Amino acid sequence: MLLSLISLLLVIAAMSAFIMFKIERIKKLQTTVDRLKKSVEEMDEQAKLIVRTDIELNRTQEELDKKFSGLFALQRLSREISTTLVESQIFKLIESASFEDLGFEKAWAFLWSAKENAFIPYLTIGYAPEDIEKIKPLVNAEKDAYLSLVNNGKTFSSISYPLNGPLHEKISHTFKAGNFIISPILPKEGNKGFFFAGTENVDSAITDADEKLITILSNQIGQALENARLFENTWRAQQELEKKVEERTRELTSAFEEVNKINKRKSDFISSVSHELRTPLTSIKGYAAILIEGKLGELPQAAKERLEKINRHSDELVHMVNDLLDIARIESGRQVMNMEHQDLKAIIFSSTDIMSIQCRNKNVELVTDVQEDIPAVLADRTQLERVFINLLGNAVKFTPEKGKITIRARSKDNIIQVDVSDTGIGMPPEALGKLFEEFYRVDNPINQQVKGTGLGLSLVKHIIEAHKGKIWVESKPGKGSTFSFTLPVLEEA
Amino acid sequence: MKVGIGLSTDKEPITAARQAARQAMGNLYSEKVDLAIVFSSVDLASVGLLKTIGLSLKSQVPIIGCSSAAVICNAGIFKHGVAVMLLSMPAHMHFSVACVKDIKEKTALNAGRELGERLLHGFRDMRRDLSIIFSDGLIEEGSNLINGIQERLGKSFPLAGASASDNMRFLRTYLYFNQEVLTDSAVGILLGGKLNFGLGIKHGWKPLGKPRTITRSAGNIIYEIDGKPAVKVYEEYLARELPQLQKEIRLVSTLYPIGMFIPGEEEYLLRNILEIENDGWLRMQGNVIQGSLVRLMIGTKKSCLNATRQALDEAKRNSFPAADINKGEIKNAVFVFDSTSRYTLLRREANQELQIIKEGFGKDVPIIGLYTYGEQAPLKAISYHGQAYFHNQSIAILNIGG
Repeated sequence: MLLSLISLLLVIAAMSAFIMFKIERIKKLQTTVDRLKKSVEEMDEQAKLIVRTDIELNRTQEELDKKFSGLFALQRLSREISTTLVESQIFKLIESASFEDLGFEKAWAFLWSAKENAFIPYLTIGYAPEDIEKIKPLVNAEKDAYLSLVNNGKTFSSISYPLNGPLHEKISHTFKAGNFIISPILPKEGNKGFFFAGTENVDSAITDADEKLITILSNQIGQALENARLFENTWRAQQELEKKVEERTRELTSAFEEVNKINKRKSDFISSVSHELRTPLTSIKGYAAILIEGKLGELPQAAKERLEKINRHSDELVHMVNDLLDIARIESGRQVMNMEHQDLKAIIFSSTDIMSIQCRNKNVELVTDVQEDIPAVLADRTQLERVFINLLGNAVKFTPEKGKITIRARSKDNIIQVDVSDTGIGMPPEALGKLFEEFYRVDNPINQQVKGTGLGLSLVKHIIEAHKGKIWVESKPGKGSTFSFTLPVLEEA
Repeated sequence: MKVGIGLSTDKEPITAARQAARQAMGNLYSEKVDLAIVFSSVDLASVGLLKTIGLSLKSQVPIIGCSSAAVICNAGIFKHGVAVMLLSMPAHMHFSVACVKDIKEKTALNAGRELGERLLHGFRDMRRDLSIIFSDGLIEEGSNLINGIQERLGKSFPLAGASASDNMRFLRTYLYFNQEVLTDSAVGILLGGKLNFGLGIKHGWKPLGKPRTITRSAGNIIYEIDGKPAVKVYEEYLARELPQLQKEIRLVSTLYPIGMFIPGEEEYLLRNILEIENDGWLRMQGNVIQGSLVRLMIGTKKSCLNATRQALDEAKRNSFPAADINKGEIKNAVFVFDSTSRYTLLRREANQELQIIKEGFGKDVPIIGLYTYGEQAPLKAISYHGQAYFHNQSIAILNIGG
């Protein structure tokens, strides 16, 4: 019995110990479970933190991406629209693909037409044809509201004005877009209008940055319109100017042709009259000579003197007729210049040689100052000698006793310039412009005494011009005159 | 099998269709065209697009395809455009195309059954290898549509597919069937004969936080998680009130979808949230299973791109029978069904994803793809005995050759 009791006690003790052990074990396990549970909870809290941070990062990233692609799209659109100067092309260049990168899928551009008293659409993106037809009249039904938006000059958007405001709702309903921005297009001249950008995407709320982007875009459109209109006006003005220049040129050409015709007629007339004059003059001179020589019987002295006068005047007349014929021939291009390689120094010396007697008789000093290595010229020697004789003859004529005549010749830059200067009576400024005209004679005492044809300088001018040179004169009354002319240097082959 | 791809980014549907079809013909090197697969942006989705493609091909060629947020092809990813893939099949390959309309009215399950039956029509005594399905991206019971199709084609029959998308507005998506542009519909291709193909699908999202259990759900609606209104999970993790969550749900769901543990499968099955009801219920894009263990999931650009590499490796490894694509043993084409959520997350790096695929298959292999509102494929694509699921946020890469 005792043994049984002891055994029972032992079993109870063992069981108690086992239970205690189990309880202890359970307690430990519970602690571990609690710890694990706590860890899971802590990890879950950490996960929450991660998610909250992550979503903020994603939002920031999204905003940055949106801004980046918006700016990129804006830059692309701006570049596109600035490439054209044609008003109708500006809106066509706003591509839907680039525009969508601004974060909107719908767009309209309207310009006000005062003539039609309505807003005219120039651009539509993201609408079906049937929607477009519906929206146009809806906008014009509210044209005063839209005109006031344009005239206000400020950007209007679904975030900058109260959500439930009447205009906000109207715009949203008209354009079928919950989020939108309307920005005025304000070129300095011409039609104004507005640009609409909208989206149905409820996830993409409009930000201040979006407003700025669309404002920049509509400003760019305004600028492009302004440039296009300015170009159009400039182009039109230029076209008109070109037309006027063309007309004037045509008139001048026709006048010039008329002048040439008249000039030719004049040359032909002079040429033909001169020829007609020369034949009877030759006869007059011939008969006068026969009579003077007494071949038809001796004539009284008085008759002889008269006949010699006839002979002298006939010579002058022949001289004049010859000059006239030469001028006419050179003018008409009929005078063939015998252009050859000429030594200018030799021509000058032969001319001064001829004139030296006259100078000596009048006690006028004749000086030549010719560059030592003066290059050769391509010229008709006879004609060039006529130039020198004429110029020297005039110089002698108008230079008083003890005066001085200088011939100076220099070459520079393939041009030879010859100056014939005298210390003569000179000429008044008003005479200089007409000096080379045919039959013009300066009104001075010498000319009143000495006869002249008034053709010499005109002939000289024609000869120089036929040699592709220029002639001019500088003179002061009482100080003398300088006649200068140029000749091109003979280029070496 | 010969494959030719054409692309056009023209804004006008007729011109775009003509350009893309002609380019595809030029790249096909075959007079015989058997099938045209067309993906386009929603702005081009029109009967004119399909008619012009049909006319450009000069013969009566079945056309199948859908709209997308952007089209993917070798040349890049294009928000606006149309990509056309032409297939010229050898004599030993067979295919059938079919479509089912009015899914809402018929229920997705019945519509799936109908599509399966139509695809099987004319395939009685021939070997069937693979079905490719495109469905309206806005139908809520995408999972039931797959179940219906698999009831007819076989529970373990390989199925890959994509839900059409629009320009991320979730307004209307389009299906293309011959010269019809459809909504509330699904279209499919059944391929058979001697077809080689490989399929890989991954999402790259990782579980975060403690495991929870769906304590009450039906179809695509989760009523309660751990005995509380389902939205509480998001309220706790994001520290946001219900109205704000309702407003931000698309972004929140893209970044932190629900991951459902499927016993025996490698990755959690992701579910996007379409809507949060006022009483805290979550309306999911795809069915959920009551009693399932669920986690909040988190993804990064890096994990997304890693998933692309894994999906690519699987698609290459699973070519059946084994063939070394790198040695050009088979003339193949690659389909990419990529989630719009990944497109949103990757943003500018989306091109990197395409680059990974191009490098993986070789630059000459024709690639065509779309962005989807849901992908359809077995979870673990190593063997094709697994059931196909309706996925979210995943990239499915299908490599076919014959």
